[in-house]
Amino acid sequence: MYIFTCEDRFEDMMCCIYQAWEKALKVGHGCVRLEKRGEEQPSLFDEYVHVEYNAEEYKKVVRSIKKKISNEAYACVYYACLSYEQDALDAAYRFLISGFKAGSDIAYMRTDPAVMRIKDIRRRVVHEARYFREFARFNSIQGKIYVCHLEPKSDVIYEVSLHFADRMPSENWMIIDDNRKKAVVHPVNNNMYIKYFTDDDMLLLQKTENLEDEYTDMWKAFFEAIAIKQRHNTECQRNLMPLWMRKHVTEFQ
Amino acid sequence: MPNRCFYNERMFELISDLTTMEKLQILADAAKYDVACTSSGVDRKGKEGFLGNSVACGVCHSFGADGRCISLLKVLMTNHCVYDCKYCMNRCSNDVPRATFEPDELCQLVIEFYKRNYIEGLFLSSGVLKNPAFTMERICETLLLLRTKYRFNGYIHVKAIPGAPDELLSRAGYLADRVSINLELPTAQSLSKLAPNKNFKTILEPMEKMTGTIAANRLAMGKDARMERSSINQYLSGSIFNPQAGSRQSALSGIERTALESGDKLSLPAVARSMGINRPFAPAGQSTQMIIGATPETDLTLIRTTQHLYKNYDLKRVFYSAYIPLNEDAALPKLDASVPLLREHRLYQADWLLRFYGFQADELLSESRPNFNEQLDPKCDWAVRHLGQFPVEVQNASYDMLLRIPGVGPKSAKRIVQTRRYAHLDFDILKKLGVVLKRAHYFITCNGRMMYRIPIEESYITKCLTEDNHKDNWKVVHQNEKYEQLSLF
Repeated sequence: MYIFTCEDRFEDMMCCIYQAWEKALKVGHGCVRLEKRGEEQPSLFDEYVHVEYNAEEYKKVVRSIKKKISNEAYACVYYACLSYEQDALDAAYRFLISGFKAGSDIAYMRTDPAVMRIKDIRRRVVHEARYFREFARFNSIQGKIYVCHLEPKSDVIYEVSLHFADRMPSENWMIIDDNRKKAVVHPVNNNMYIKYFTDDDMLLLQKTENLEDEYTDMWKAFFEAIAIKQRHNTECQRNLMPLWMRKHVTEFQ
Repeated sequence: MPNRCFYNERMFELISDLTTMEKLQILADAAKYDVACTSSGVDRKGKEGFLGNSVACGVCHSFGADGRCISLLKVLMTNHCVYDCKYCMNRCSNDVPRATFEPDELCQLVIEFYKRNYIEGLFLSSGVLKNPAFTMERICETLLLLRTKYRFNGYIHVKAIPGAPDELLSRAGYLADRVSINLELPTAQSLSKLAPNKNFKTILEPMEKMTGTIAANRLAMGKDARMERSSINQYLSGSIFNPQAGSRQSALSGIERTALESGDKLSLPAVARSMGINRPFAPAGQSTQMIIGATPETDLTLIRTTQHLYKNYDLKRVFYSAYIPLNEDAALPKLDASVPLLREHRLYQADWLLRFYGFQADELLSESRPNFNEQLDPKCDWAVRHLGQFPVEVQNASYDMLLRIPGVGPKSAKRIVQTRRYAHLDFDILKKLGVVLKRAHYFITCNGRMMYRIPIEESYITKCLTEDNHKDNWKVVHQNEKYEQLSLF
């Protein structure tokens, strides 16, 4: 068994798929597996191959998925690559094996286990992005810049940012992924970009979370006042707003 | 908190030294019994220089301790009120702390909350200060400030005060996304009993005018006169939103007439030009709410009223609010009466069946069974009473029949239809497609076989279905029991 590993970035994963496919043409698809780096449990008898980013391979993979299968399939693969789940990258690979055989019909072939799995992963990533669109909370730093900290399981901050780019086009804001040490930065009336941070930067950015302004307290007061005592229902609240997502939510601090 | 803000009997503010924080607490607390906290119904892109956008599916930002979503900043403009509705916290005969927001103060609050992503917009209702016109004027002033001075492009839901002049209602419609007028109670008798200052005419008339204006505005923009509904309804022949061959005229007549041949009587005056704003009239439509459990109406009356409102007034949503005893009065349930939460839940379930599943009110309930079953949800209840139509073969059943199977929803029905074009289904796959087999297996066959060998009998299936929900049903039966220490002496 050959195990192909790569960094946790979409471009690298596409190259990983390319390399694995190339190998599989010689040894068969059953003999390759794909994993993201840092997640693997090394085994004794397998051969590990680490794949680096290569612009040409990346373009080739993306182009052939879009052309030979469909944009829909590309979206599935893209979301699977954002997922935190261990087998997500491998699931994308298995999906592509069926996809290149079936073409654009693959989107409806839900009885295929590979398709079922990737749709499942995709759904979870999309839902997570939707949750964080709702539960993201910005802290104002003197009314000039708005900073939001998130700790999503999947790498969804860019998806979340797309919503805010439309919502607050004329504000300075940034959304920081504390675990992946990266952020999406949006300057006033300008395009947003992704920035990676060092540990020192992160320590500095941590402090922004403890800044309190008068509206934080007002929001907490509103949150308390709006609940109806007679209808108290913690179970329902937890179903709709899981505890792990509340870590950076103002009203629960 | 001491009552530090007074109005004398002419409603002039005597002393008011409340901070914004205190006002927010008082007015949010007073607004919490309004149920419609949705930010849905309109898609609007953000604009450079403005703040905010709007998403048609709605965005909830938080969930309160009662599990209800917090999407909008739900506050009253003021909780001073000249009316004395018996069920209401803010009736004039109650001694509660009172406050009033200044328009600028409220706008500031909305903008700052919005920028921090706490809220999706503003939900503005109000008690009646002095008279309906004065109150509505203040509401409109706030909305205009928010849209012009503060350049707010997010969602606004405004309550129309019954009895306010047409110009002001029209103004509110052009500034807000959704307008609602509370029906409060489904019959005129109940309304006159519990809300002596309101009457059905002053509620239905502005509602009708709103409908007419929305329809006229939509036609002028080149859209269909009726509001957009879930796309699923186009496949459902029995849906209440589908104009049927025979009843096409009757269903649409109210709207077509108001929209196309409107005299002044049934639509509001156009005031958008004079305000210098260019917005569609209430693009997210209108909604209403009804209080349940305070008066003896049956579920059948409620659900029929709902259907009537959807069909003839083209409302986007009808909300139900379980009556919470706040005031002591001979005309009301006792103070320790339990809140009819389950009944509210069943009504919402039925409401969904009307809007997304192609059911009609009269299919769900009848004069002989005017209330919903406590132990079974309305869809299961319907299915066990119509076993003649079951079991359904999922391999070739039509889309609207699939939707009538308990345990199958719009999404899983869509997946079934897509998947069966390419492959044979089996129960394992159905489960993975999202069908709840726990309920569905009594009602379906797959390739001619049922999942288990069971008799198709009403009593047997009812027993199984209630037994499946044993835990929940136990809670239902024992909900009103109170425990106390055993006393030996």
